[in-house]
Amino acid sequence: MRKISSSSKMIRIATAVLLATGLLAGTAVAQQENPPAPAAPRSVTIPKPTDRTLKNGLRVIVIEDHDIPLISAGIVVKNGGEVDPANLSGLAELTASLLTKGTKTRTAPEIAQQIEALGGTIQSGAGWDASRVFINVMSGKIDPAMSILADVVRNPVFQEEEIERLRQQYIDNLSVTLGDPGSLASYVAARVVFGDAAYGHPLAGTPESLPLIKQADIVGLHTKYYRPDNAVLVIGGSIKAEDAFKLAERLLGDWAKPAAALPARGQVGKMARADEKQRVVVIDMPDAGQAAVVLARVGISRTDPDYFRGIVTNSILSGYSGRLNQEIRIKRGLSYGARSSLEARRESGPFAASAQTKNPSGAEVAGLLIHELSRLSSEPVAEVELTPRKAVLIGGFGRNLETTDGLAFQVSSLALHGLSLDEINNYIRNVQAVTAADVQKFAGSRLPAKDAHIIIVGNAKDFLEPLRKQFSNVEVIPLAELDLNSAALRKTGATAGK
Amino acid sequence: MFRNLKFLLAVITLLLSSTGFGLVSPAQTMPRLTYRDRTLANGLRVLTVEDHASPTVAIQVWYKVGSKDDPEGRSGFAHLFEHMLFKGTKNMKDEMMDRLTEDVGGINNASTWDDFTNYYEVVPSNYLETLLWAEAERMGSLNVDEKNFKSERDVVKEEFRSRVLAPPYGRFFYAIEKESFTAHPYRRPGIGSIEELDAATLGDVKAFHSTFYRPDNATLVVVGDFEPKQIDAWIDKYFTRVAKPDKPLPRVTTKEPERTAEKRVNEYAATVPLPAVALTYLAPPVASADAAALDVAEAILSSGESSRLYQSLVYQQQVAQEAFAQADLREQLGLFVLGAILASEKKPAEAERALLGELKKMQDTLVSAAELDKAKLQLVTNELRERETSNGKAFALARAAVLLGDAARINTDIEKLQAVTAADIQRVMKKYFTDSNRVVITYQAESMRPKTTAGGEGGK
Repeated sequence: MRKISSSSKMIRIATAVLLATGLLAGTAVAQQENPPAPAAPRSVTIPKPTDRTLKNGLRVIVIEDHDIPLISAGIVVKNGGEVDPANLSGLAELTASLLTKGTKTRTAPEIAQQIEALGGTIQSGAGWDASRVFINVMSGKIDPAMSILADVVRNPVFQEEEIERLRQQYIDNLSVTLGDPGSLASYVAARVVFGDAAYGHPLAGTPESLPLIKQADIVGLHTKYYRPDNAVLVIGGSIKAEDAFKLAERLLGDWAKPAAALPARGQVGKMARADEKQRVVVIDMPDAGQAAVVLARVGISRTDPDYFRGIVTNSILSGYSGRLNQEIRIKRGLSYGARSSLEARRESGPFAASAQTKNPSGAEVAGLLIHELSRLSSEPVAEVELTPRKAVLIGGFGRNLETTDGLAFQVSSLALHGLSLDEINNYIRNVQAVTAADVQKFAGSRLPAKDAHIIIVGNAKDFLEPLRKQFSNVEVIPLAELDLNSAALRKTGATAGK
Repeated sequence: MFRNLKFLLAVITLLLSSTGFGLVSPAQTMPRLTYRDRTLANGLRVLTVEDHASPTVAIQVWYKVGSKDDPEGRSGFAHLFEHMLFKGTKNMKDEMMDRLTEDVGGINNASTWDDFTNYYEVVPSNYLETLLWAEAERMGSLNVDEKNFKSERDVVKEEFRSRVLAPPYGRFFYAIEKESFTAHPYRRPGIGSIEELDAATLGDVKAFHSTFYRPDNATLVVVGDFEPKQIDAWIDKYFTRVAKPDKPLPRVTTKEPERTAEKRVNEYAATVPLPAVALTYLAPPVASADAAALDVAEAILSSGESSRLYQSLVYQQQVAQEAFAQADLREQLGLFVLGAILASEKKPAEAERALLGELKKMQDTLVSAAELDKAKLQLVTNELRERETSNGKAFALARAAVLLGDAARINTDIEKLQAVTAADIQRVMKKYFTDSNRVVITYQAESMRPKTTAGGEGGK
């Protein structure tokens, strides 16, 4: 396929509000026949969420969409991997994953059996700032499916046998992901950007941390954070709002709120600092089939006033016709795809630009990533480039809302960050308001390239020499000496070399 | 390409729609898809579904040419060609398709499968005429040069590295493709190889376009927000001017011989975190009457954590960290693949035994009514999820028309699914899952390769 598609979902919002007619005529000048111009755009409707808060503090949000008889429903707990103790990476993820592995009345196989007999799915896991359990089921099966959802969140038993089984699966799975240059590069990038702060550790744990996690740690995390006044229930799809609220009340209305106050939130991220020292880290994996190249630095939080300026800035770089892919793939054939992401979390999350390339091109791609990030602040983006990149954002947003899963996820993310649910109805306007000057300013003040870090996982001997010509501070860490548990990234006792 | 196994589907979500079933849910849970079906004088088949749920439209063009039609010595060519169709035409500059889609908030993509190649766009509906023009453009002409050919070929070589060389199990899935067929062109992985991609020329690109990219080898499907009279007029205007060539269409006629004895292949690679094993069986073509029973068997074996392979290999025996089954049924014949990535400390032989044990159970004992119902409901719900979007609906309709050879099956396959009985499943399990119809592929770290004995050393 031409591109790896992160989603094959459809558009719902007519991005024709952007009216790109001039652009079409512009590109077609030298041609014998111009493409037909677009007709007048059609108007857009976006479903409107409604919400209530139950007496126990559980916020319930319903978003009706009756196109297809499916429902996506989920409980989002407002804490995730950021609360893992420093030596217990993976605790929140393991806890969330174990929810579906046994409750007071259902064994793990019974949970799977019962939800799948409804044709449904149940998935749970921890992200940053949140732990989630979601079901997706035909609307006619919502009652029994929701009972299972409520049960796994309220009554998990965290049996030793299930903990051991899952622990082993996680350790095995890590051995697979750590063998993939791309996955490994993102793990390393998180450590380089966030150091020993909570956002720096791998969400799914490390081979060293997973064996240390005890049942008491898991039960403790669940007791502390899985409570109605620290959670949001979202129900999206083919269901009447009143029926959804009744169902929520019946299954979760008596979920008791603990007497203890909610735990205070400590700082888990790291602010961007002017004196941030740029690191250039190479993980030497001699058998790597490609080099994975990542540029990474601290970005912004979800509630940052610059959020929309940030995502528009990122969209200039990212996407198929974004600058990174234009320069690295389309012009030079150096990669199957180059992209960037600005991951806004409760505190400032990472900005990352990345591409995989044949090992000998590793240094060249690193240079291109830096160059393109710098160019965003050194010269203004032209309107003819900015307008289509905004259209990409708006179209992608619309396509996300077209599936029940996408709808429920978008709404729950707003709730997670305490943002107004109206934001889904204001999204287009907010994106449209961003100007070329905003982009240049944002790039210069929030994403300066000079203190961005570079991480390359690959066969070092193929790219080290040109890389050292570009950077004076290259650290090379052989794969066998890599330690993801600390910012140093090197196992203690391993010789620190040049 | 990509008849990838479930293992890979998590990262390539586009392909979720591809695995071997074309089932529609019961009338009470999903409305029938009402479509119009016509064929232009030049042979272009046109299927349209009017749906005003959102002001957008999905356009798909399927060409009946796929990786099995790669020219000899040019493995990977159909896929490389697919990339080239995003370059210029007589009236379009390079990458203009991106200007007409991405730049107005839409998307475009394409994928090359064994038997067909599909190109699609999803755009605001006021751009429908523009995109119909553009699809007719690239059906009618292709304007490529040596420079953009070489550059795009480099991109495809990076795609090969990204899919085959870099991921820890890339070579494993590549080996499954290569080792499962002996004569039929399905034996050549659609992604190709660096050497054969390097051998391709600009002349090959031009020849491939004139041979296969023609109206009588294509199906246009449009789903979304349009007026029927208007779309008919646009389609007539832009597509009727693409001429139908006189030359006959070449078709693959090579027959894959029946397997007569179990074949075993041991693959080794430098970085293999955990060993893996796959069993492959030749299976019937996708349009076969046995397809529905094999799809249900696949769901019973591997759909969800209540499935037999998960419960047995991953949960109880803990011999595998992941287990999968796939009825990968294609136009000319199918492949049923079972496999496992092992848990640490386990040997391929243990997983192989466990997989064979599960097959034997399916052959010896009828599945229960509850298990049968569960599998059917999972299949129907999956299909519902696919049809949440116009693009998903367009894919399903095109698949019925092009691959199954009957567009009506978009609505009638549900009956075939509901009619599958426990006895049907037992029958197909006995028919296809025989010892002599099996290829076993193991995948292990290079360090596990048996030492060759030299100079009389070694031995007992």
